[in-house]
Amino acid sequence: MSKQDDKSGLKRRDFLKIVGVIGGGAAVSGCWSEPTDEIIPYVIPPDDIIPGIPNWYASTCTECPAGCGVMVKNMDGRAIKIEGNPKSPINSGSLCARGQASLQGQYNPDRFRSPLYKNEAGELEPTSWDDAENKFVEIINKLKEQGKANKIVFLTGSVSGSLDSLINDFLKAIGGGKHIAYEPVSYESLKEANRITFGINKVPSYNLENADYIISFGADFLETWLSPVGYTKQFSKMHGYDHGKMGKFVYVSPRSSLAGANADSWIQIKPGTEMTLALGLVKEIIDSGLSSASGLGQIRTLVSRYNLELVSVKTDIAADKIKEIAKEFADSKTGLAIGGSVSSASDSSTKTLAAVNLLNYVAGNIGKTINFNSSHSIGNVASYKEIESLVHSMSSGDVDLLITYDTNPVYSLPKSLWFDRALQKVSHVVSLSSQPSETTSFAELILPDSTSIEKWGDCFPQDGIYGLIQPAMNPIYNTKPIGDVILSASAKLELSSSKLAYKNYLEYLKNSWKKIHSANESFKLFDQFWKESLQNGGYYIQRAASDVSLSPEVLSLRFTEPKFDNAAGDLYFVTYPSISLFDGRGANKPWLQELPEPLTTSVWDSWAEVHPDTASQLGISEGDYINIETPKGIIKTQAFVFKGIRPDTIAVAMGQGHTQIGQFGNDRGVNVLDILPNKKDELSGAFAWLSTKVNVSKSGESAKLTKIQMTFSQEDRHIAQSITLKELQHSGGHNGNGHGKSGGHHEQLDMYPKREYQENKWGMSIDLTKCVGCGSCVTACNAENNVSFVGKDQVSRGRYMGWIRIERFFDDGKEFKTKFIPMLCQHCDNAPCEPVCPVYATYNNYEGLNVMVYNRCVGTRYCSNNCSYKVRRFNWYDYELPEPLPMQLNPDVTVREKGIMEKCTFCSQRIIAAKDKARDENRKIVDGDVKPACVQTCPAEALKFGNMKDHSSEVYAKSNDARSYFVLEELNTMPSITYLKKVERDNA
Amino acid sequence: MSNQSAPLTYSRVNDDIIRMLEKPSLKWLALFVFDLSVLGIGAMCFIYQVYTGLGVAGYSHPVFWGVYITNFVFWVGIAHSGTLISAILFLFRARFRMSIYRISEAMTVFAVMTAGLFPIIHLGRPWNFYWLLPYPNQRELWINFKSPLIWDVFAVSTYATVSILFFYVGMIPDLAAIRDRVVEKPRKFIYSILSLGWKGSNWEWMHYTRAYLYFAAFAAPLVISVHSVVSWDFAMANTPGWHTTIFPPYFVAGAIFSGLGLVITLCVPIRKIFHLEDYITVDNFEGMAKLIMLTSGIIGYAYAAEFFMAWYSGNPHEWGQFVYRATGDYALFYWIMVVCNVIIPISLWFKKVRTNIKALFVISLFINIGMWFERFNIIVISLSHEFDPGNWGVYKPSLIEIGITAGSFAWFFMFFLLFIKTLPAISIAEMKEILPVPRKGAKQ
Repeated sequence: MSKQDDKSGLKRRDFLKIVGVIGGGAAVSGCWSEPTDEIIPYVIPPDDIIPGIPNWYASTCTECPAGCGVMVKNMDGRAIKIEGNPKSPINSGSLCARGQASLQGQYNPDRFRSPLYKNEAGELEPTSWDDAENKFVEIINKLKEQGKANKIVFLTGSVSGSLDSLINDFLKAIGGGKHIAYEPVSYESLKEANRITFGINKVPSYNLENADYIISFGADFLETWLSPVGYTKQFSKMHGYDHGKMGKFVYVSPRSSLAGANADSWIQIKPGTEMTLALGLVKEIIDSGLSSASGLGQIRTLVSRYNLELVSVKTDIAADKIKEIAKEFADSKTGLAIGGSVSSASDSSTKTLAAVNLLNYVAGNIGKTINFNSSHSIGNVASYKEIESLVHSMSSGDVDLLITYDTNPVYSLPKSLWFDRALQKVSHVVSLSSQPSETTSFAELILPDSTSIEKWGDCFPQDGIYGLIQPAMNPIYNTKPIGDVILSASAKLELSSSKLAYKNYLEYLKNSWKKIHSANESFKLFDQFWKESLQNGGYYIQRAASDVSLSPEVLSLRFTEPKFDNAAGDLYFVTYPSISLFDGRGANKPWLQELPEPLTTSVWDSWAEVHPDTASQLGISEGDYINIETPKGIIKTQAFVFKGIRPDTIAVAMGQGHTQIGQFGNDRGVNVLDILPNKKDELSGAFAWLSTKVNVSKSGESAKLTKIQMTFSQEDRHIAQSITLKELQHSGGHNGNGHGKSGGHHEQLDMYPKREYQENKWGMSIDLTKCVGCGSCVTACNAENNVSFVGKDQVSRGRYMGWIRIERFFDDGKEFKTKFIPMLCQHCDNAPCEPVCPVYATYNNYEGLNVMVYNRCVGTRYCSNNCSYKVRRFNWYDYELPEPLPMQLNPDVTVREKGIMEKCTFCSQRIIAAKDKARDENRKIVDGDVKPACVQTCPAEALKFGNMKDHSSEVYAKSNDARSYFVLEELNTMPSITYLKKVERDNA
Repeated sequence: MSNQSAPLTYSRVNDDIIRMLEKPSLKWLALFVFDLSVLGIGAMCFIYQVYTGLGVAGYSHPVFWGVYITNFVFWVGIAHSGTLISAILFLFRARFRMSIYRISEAMTVFAVMTAGLFPIIHLGRPWNFYWLLPYPNQRELWINFKSPLIWDVFAVSTYATVSILFFYVGMIPDLAAIRDRVVEKPRKFIYSILSLGWKGSNWEWMHYTRAYLYFAAFAAPLVISVHSVVSWDFAMANTPGWHTTIFPPYFVAGAIFSGLGLVITLCVPIRKIFHLEDYITVDNFEGMAKLIMLTSGIIGYAYAAEFFMAWYSGNPHEWGQFVYRATGDYALFYWIMVVCNVIIPISLWFKKVRTNIKALFVISLFINIGMWFERFNIIVISLSHEFDPGNWGVYKPSLIEIGITAGSFAWFFMFFLLFIKTLPAISIAEMKEILPVPRKGAKQ
C-alpha cells in the first residue's frame, strides 16, 4: 500500500493499470521493445500519482532466505530504489547490498522476456502464455494418463508461506509428485544439533544485541549467515560502544572473513577443530566451577577427554587463550556462542554444533540469547540427503517431470554429484524461474515468473514474521507470477481441488492470510488487517524466548573429529558464501560483481586467499594464478596473499564460475563446487563443504588482481584511527591523545574568513567502531545516484566509479588487525578542489555542501588532483547501460556524460525533497528528515547525517564526541564529515 | 657557390643564408611527408579520443594528469630558451647568441604552439575549452581567477604573443634582404608585405635597434614569469611533491636547461646539412654548453633540496612521496631523470667535451629525454602516491597518448621544416654586426 497516503486497494490497482501503459504495452506485443516514448499519458490523472513524486510500497526482499522487509520506491511507474522497511523487525530500515541490487534482477537484460519452449532444433523460441501453459498442462496430463503423476518433482529454492502451500496443494490435486525446497547454504546440521541437544528440530533466532560476549565458531553473521542485516544491526548495538559500553566478540575460524576483521579477537583455529575447542571450553568452564547449569555431571563425563593440553594441540590455540576465553565467557552476564556456517561444515558439523550448544548450555545462555520461538524458516528446506536421493531417482528414470523454480542445482550442487547428467535422464524439465541459469538451460519449457517487485506474494522468514510481497510496478516483460501460472494450469488441468479454485494468486494469498488474521487479530475486519499488513510490509509478532532443557540424546553423542581427504594435498580447503554474490545467485548483477569484497577489495572475479608463508613456500605472489586440485577436479584462480587466513588453509569464495547465468556473470572466476567431493555430515546428512585438502601449485600465469585498493597499510598516515578502551576511559571524555579533532583548527592561519552558514550546515558522522565494512552503503549509493558500474577491465585500469568506498587497512604489527573506513566526499569548508577549478564548476554552497555543477565542468580534473581524499570520479566514457537497466535510473539525479567529474553530493536531491516537504508542512527541517542513501541503509547505523547548526541533532552530538576526529586534519580542509575512532580492546 | 674556405663577408652571409631557402630537396620532401604522416596519426588519435572519451588515455585513479600535461610543461619549457637566448642574452651582450637566436626563437614560437594544444587535448570536454576564457556571456558565467589554470591561460597566451612579435620584429631586415633577392612574383610579393617596406635607411635602423632593445627588455621578465606560473599549477596545489616554494626557480632553470638542449639538438644537424660551420661556430656551442652546465647544477641542487626538505619537514606524506619516487613503481623513470639531467651534464665540465659537437649532440638528446621524464615524474609520481594510502594507484600511458605525443613532435617539426625553407634561419643582419665593415676597394 502506498505510504504516501492512505488509499484503498482499488485505487492502487487503477493506478497500476494506467501507469502500466508504460510497461504493459510490452505484455500485449509479447516481447520487449523500447519503453514507450509517452510521458505518463494522463488523460484523466489518477488520484494517487503525481509525476516526480515517488510512491513507496512495502514489500519483502527475496534475495536470500533472511526475508528482510523492504520499501520499493516507485517513480512515474518504475521501481527505482529499494530500501529497508523501518517497520520490519528483521532489518528495521536497513538493507544489504544484495537487497539493494534486487533492482538489477528486476531490470536484468538477461531476464526471460516471455514464455519460451525448445523447438525441434533445440533452440528456445518465444511463445504466448496460452500456448506455453497448454504445453505445460499437456505434459502433466500425459503423465497423469500414464499413471506417472507421482513422478513429478517440483524443485524450488526456499519458499515459505502461501506459495509453499499452493505448490503442495497443486501437487496433491494432480495426484502425486513431490515438492523439494532446496538451498545450497542450508542449516541442516544446526537444526539436527538442536534436535539432539534440546529436542527441538529448528534453527533458532539469536539475540546478539543483548549479549555481552559472543563467540562465533565460523558463523559469518556480518556477511551471509542466516539473517545478515538483522544480525549486523544487533552486533553494532552490542559492540558499537553505545553509552560507553561494548561487548566482546571472539571469532573462531581458520580465515578472518568480515566477522574476524570486526572481532576483538580472531582465533585462528585449525580447520575442523571447532568442536574440540567448544568441548574444551565446556570442560574448562565446568572444571573452574563457573557454570551453574543443571546436569553438569553427565556433561563433565562427556567432555572429560578434552583437557586443555589436548585441545590446545588439536586446535592450534594457546592453552592460556582457551582458559581466558572460557573464563570470560562463563563470567559474562549474557553470553552467546554461535556456529553453523559453510566454512566449518565438516562431516562432523552436527557434532560441532552440538558442542556449541553445550557451551551455551553450561554458560547459561539458553533462553536468554537463543530463541526457538522465533526460529528461521530456512530450517524447513529439504536436506542434502533428499537432493542426493532425487539425483538417484532422476538418473534411474524415476522422475518424468522436473519443475524448477528459483533454484540452480546444476550450478550449486557439487559436480561430483552429477546433477546435470541425471537431469538429462528426466523426460521433461520445465522452469518457472525469471532469470536464466545453468539449470534453466536444460528446460524444454520456460514459464518465466515475474520478479517480486512485480507480483503478489508472501514470505515467512521467521516464526511470527509474516512478510507480504506486493507489486510495486507492472511487469516489464511478458511474464506471469508463478502463483498465477499454477492456478491457471490447475484450471486447464480441470483439477477439482477447492483449494485451487481461485481467480488469481492474490485471491489465494488473501485467503491464506485469513488464517493469520483469524489466529491473531480476529477482532479486526479482514480488510483492515490486510490493509494494515500491506502498509507495514507484513504482520509481525514478537515472540519471547523460552527456556529449553537438555535432551538426553546429546549425552550419548560420540564426538569424533572430522575426516579430511588427505590424499589430495596438504592445504585445507575452505569455502564460504560470497558477501555479494551469496551462493552464486547474484552473479548476473553488475552492482554486486563490482562491489568490492571487504577484505580483498576484489571485484568481478574469483581469487584464493593465501597466507604469506604459504605463498612464499609455493613461490607465488598476489595475482599469480594457482591450480587448486582435488581428485574431483581442478580450479585455477589468482592468489590474494594476506595474513587473514591460516598458513595451512586456502580459501575461495562461492558464487562465480557461471556459464549460463547471463552477460555479467558468465565465464568469470571459478566454481568451488567443481572440486568438492560429495561428502556429507554424518548425522544430519548436510553437504560437507569442509571435507578436503587440496594440492596447490603455481600455474606460471600471472595478472594483476582486479581490486579497488592497492595497498594494505596506512603507512602511519592515521587515516582510520583507533583508541583503546583504557585510553578512552583515562581521557575522561576529553580527546586526550593528541590525534583527534582540535576544535578550533588553525583559524589564525587562514587568509579567507571562516565560512558562515545561515540555517543549515549539513554534516555527517561516521562511527568506525560501528562500521563493519559490509559495503551496503556502496550499492545504495550506486542505486540512488545513478553511479555507473564500469566492468572488470575498467576497474583494473583504475576507473571504478563508486562515490563511497570502504577503505580497508591492515595494521602493520604482527597481529592481523583490520580497520575499515568509509571514504566519501568530505564536503570540506575549506575544500582544496574548489579554488583550483578554472570555471567554478565546484564550489561551497550556502549549506556547506561542496557542489559539483556537471554542466559547467570542462574536465580539467584539477579538482581531483587537489582532493586530499581522492573521492572524485571522472567519466572517462559515456557508460551506457544495456536495456532495460536504464529504467532503474533515478530521475532526480543527472546521468553524467563523458568528460566530467562527479562525486558524492550528500544526496542533495534528498535534501531538496526534505526541505520541500518541510515547507509544505510549514515547519523547519528537523533531525532525521534527511537521510542520504548510505546513511539510510547502513545496517550497523555507523553513519549519521544531519544539520550541524542544530545543536540538538544526533550528528552534532556525535561530531563532538570524545572519539571524533577529521581525516587528514593537518591539511586544514575543515571537512563536514567527522569520524569517530574505532574503539579497540586493550591487548592485555 | 659555397666557398667555405673564404672569409665571411657581407655578401657571402647573404648568399649562404638565403641559399637555405632554395627549392627543397627530395630528402626534405621525404622528411616532410613522413612528418605529416606522423602528425596525421596523432590527429586521428585525438579525434578518436574526443569521440570515445578520455578513457582511451591511460588515466587511472588517482592519477588524473599524465602524458598530456607532461607534454604541455615540456613544450612550455622548450619555449623558454628562445626568448632567453634572444632577449636576456641580448641584454647581456652575449655574442654567442647571434648565430643561434633565430633558430631558438622559431623553436620558441613553435613550441608554444605545440604546448598550447595540450591543455585542450587533455580536457574531458575539449569542445568547451573556451569556457576558460573570460568572455562576457548572457549566463553571466565567469572564470575563477583563483585557479592557477586561469593564470596559465594568461601567462602562456601573453608569452606566445610577445615571442611571436619579437620573432617577427627581429626578422624584418632579413625579410627585406630576401625580398631584394628573390625573383618569382608570388614570393617577392609575400616577402614584400612581410618586410613592411624596410629600406635599410639609417633612420629605420635607429628606430629598429631601439625597438628591439625595448622588446628584449619587455620579453625578459616573461621568460621568468611564464614558467613560474606553469610551476604554480603544481606548487599551488596541496599534493605532496607539488606543494613547494622551490618550484618557480626550479622550473625556470629546468626550462632553460631543456630549451638549450633542444637548440643544440636542432642546430647540429642544420649546421651540418647547410654547411653553416662558419656561422654557428664551436664557440657558440660552447657558450650554450656552459649555460647548460649552470642550469644542470641548479636543477641538481633542486632535486637534492626537495629530498632534504621532505625529510627535514618530518611530514610523512612528503617523505613518503620522495622515497616512493626513488624506490617505487616509477623508480626507473626517476633515475633516468637524474642520470640524464645531472650526471651526464657533468661531462661538460671538460672543455674537450664542450667543444666536441658530436658529444654535445648526444648529451643534448639525453637532456631532452631527461627533462621530459622530469615533468612526467613530478606530475605522475606525485599524484600516484598522495595522502591516503587507500588511494594509491599506478598510471601507464596508453597507445593513444603515445600517438598524440608523437603527433605533437610532428606538429613542431612540421613548422620547423617549413621555417627552414621559408625564413632565414640565421639572422643576416646580426651576423653582419660582427663582421668587419666592408671598405671601398675591398672585394665585395
